[in-house]
Amino acid sequence: MKKINSIYIIDDDPITVFGIKKVLSTIVLCDSITTHINGKLALDGINNLISENKNLPDVIFLDINMPVMDGWEFLDEFIKIPLEKKIKINIVTSSIDPYDKKKTNSYKKKTHHPIFYINKPIQKTEVEEITTKTHLKP
Amino acid sequence: MQKNKTHTNSYLIKQLPDAVVFLNRKMEIIYASDKLSTDFELSTSNVIGENFFTTFPYLSTQCQNAIRDSITGKNYKVKKEYYFNNDESYKWVEWSSAPWYDEDENIIGVIVKLENVDDTTNIELELKKTKDLLEETATTGKIGTWEYKIKEDILKWSNMTKQIHGVSNNYKPSIQTAIKFYKRGYSRKTIKEKVQNSLKDGKPWSEKLQIITADGREIWIIASGKPIFKKDKLIGIFGTFNDVNDIVNSEIKIKKSEELLRTLIDHLPINVFIKDINSKKIVSNKHDTIFSKVLGSDEVIGKNDFHFCDEETAKKNVKEDREVINSRIPVLAKEKLIIKKDGTKSIMLTSKIPLIENNGEVNKLVGFSVDITDIKEKEKELKKLINVTSLQNERLINFAHIISHNLRSQTANFSMLLDFLVKETNEIEKKSITNMLISTSEKLLDTLQTLNEVVIINTNVTLEKKPICLSNKISSIEKELFPLLNSNKAIIINEVPKSVYINVSENYLDDILKNMIENSVKYKHKDRSPIIKLSTKKNEDYITLNIEDNGIGIDLKKYGDKIFGMHKTFHNNNDTKGIDLYIIKNQIEAMNGKITVSSIVNEGTIFNIYFNEKD
Repeated sequence: MKKINSIYIIDDDPITVFGIKKVLSTIVLCDSITTHINGKLALDGINNLISENKNLPDVIFLDINMPVMDGWEFLDEFIKIPLEKKIKINIVTSSIDPYDKKKTNSYKKKTHHPIFYINKPIQKTEVEEITTKTHLKP
Repeated sequence: MQKNKTHTNSYLIKQLPDAVVFLNRKMEIIYASDKLSTDFELSTSNVIGENFFTTFPYLSTQCQNAIRDSITGKNYKVKKEYYFNNDESYKWVEWSSAPWYDEDENIIGVIVKLENVDDTTNIELELKKTKDLLEETATTGKIGTWEYKIKEDILKWSNMTKQIHGVSNNYKPSIQTAIKFYKRGYSRKTIKEKVQNSLKDGKPWSEKLQIITADGREIWIIASGKPIFKKDKLIGIFGTFNDVNDIVNSEIKIKKSEELLRTLIDHLPINVFIKDINSKKIVSNKHDTIFSKVLGSDEVIGKNDFHFCDEETAKKNVKEDREVINSRIPVLAKEKLIIKKDGTKSIMLTSKIPLIENNGEVNKLVGFSVDITDIKEKEKELKKLINVTSLQNERLINFAHIISHNLRSQTANFSMLLDFLVKETNEIEKKSITNMLISTSEKLLDTLQTLNEVVIINTNVTLEKKPICLSNKISSIEKELFPLLNSNKAIIINEVPKSVYINVSENYLDDILKNMIENSVKYKHKDRSPIIKLSTKKNEDYITLNIEDNGIGIDLKKYGDKIFGMHKTFHNNNDTKGIDLYIIKNQIEAMNGKITVSSIVNEGTIFNIYFNEKD
């Protein structure tokens, strides 16, 4: 199994978080999976890691609909942080609105971080592909 | 004896009734009659013995020669010579000269007679001048003359009269042929009548009539006639004949273009007017006249806006008129409200342009205005319709969003959990997954219920509205919420007057008030007890209920567009679901109202709920 150092899950729905963790446990070895219930808390967490010079997550699972700071607002702030490291961002959503898919594509152009779009319910194969393949093109 | 004779001669000559001078062969004056001195202001005694040509120095050579030549025995008469006085004024003089014979028939000198013809010459000259002038005037002014002698039955036309008639100069007219030149109908009838009346009663006339010339042109003339009397007896008529065709035609043309302009202006579907320096109307087309008219007044011309409009409107208009005239800067397509004396309001689109006259002065302005009241009204309706449509669209999108997110996320969870459950072998894990399925199911039911409520609100077309005393309603809700308010030490300040009634669905109003007060308590500031103040404001279309609290507030810059969405919360506060505002918004909109919010973080929030009082 592939080993990943750190994964962030940003989602306010405990069931989705549970599902992501369950799927991940079958495909990767990960020492640290951190969960945040909104974008604001996740951003604070990341900023703390930077200021403490700690390792940033390798993969982020990001929900769109969240209170306080939603997925898009998180992305807006996140891509402003000057980071050399490429962090894979998986947008996990139940939305079937084509607008959300389009918006995802617009972010892909704005940042060097690879961004993926996963529709709920999450599929093991999909998560596996994105998370484990190192040189996968977004 | 000789001397005596000479003396006698001299005495006789002195008394001659004409101015006569006797010259000897050397052309020296020997005798002169006294008449010479009276006519030519010469003293007779002074000229005796003087040379004739020295005394009359300005004689023409012809005259001098004639006088000299009379020595040879010839008689001469030289007509009209100048005679200059000392002061350089002159007279006309007729000279005649004859040889002077002595008793033996020898020529001993010349007799010269001077006749002062000054007066007759002047009259003749004056007459000629007048004649020339008359002819000149007649030619340039195309004025001919005519004369009719009754006894002889002769009609005479001047050349100009003939020219106007288009006949040659040797044409001989008669009364009958002359009348036939006049155009049949009014012109011929009139001239006949006038000539007959004149012959009968001696009445003069002057008429503008039409003739058809010999070469077939139809022209306008003015024929006038005046009877001539001799010892109270009518002997003829004379008159003038004036070609005024060009004048009349240009008059007609001007009149026609004036009429055309007037017709155009009158039928333009806008108000056209010209105002003088005192803002008084001097031109007003049909539209403007109809628009300006007030009951009991027919006249528009000569009146200013104070006559038609209310004081305020008139003041503004007159001020504007003055500015346009003084500054010479036109006002173009300006929209303004005109309130007439009878109170009717119109929205007019008006332009005012200064009228610059030939001398460069501006004393008038021309104005155009269009009544756009109807257009404005339609624009308002259209805007309203657009608002309704965009509102409905927004709601539809919102609804689709809810279906897409809230329903789908739960069904997706169902699907995922079921998938896990099927594959799971661990009993404890199975139990946990089952619990999650139950909670997902509950959430789904909850969401469906909310959606159901929203659907009901939005499809309730026959919403029953009735007037409700808002103040009383607030009091009763306050009682209902007493446990919540009491436990949070919350105070409600009800500033709504008892007189305010709003037309609403009572159930919705209950929900709205309850939820708003609950929200204020829920988002209270941790440092202070909640104070919720309710007040109202009334404007044209709405009664606004303002609900002001001292809670934690909301960062509207961040959440402004989401606050009324479904399942939105903005605080890290676990027991909020955010569904309340979504339903409240739907309820308010179903009653054709609206809700707005303003807030300062850490200070409080104000919700403004607009209850539509019009429909």
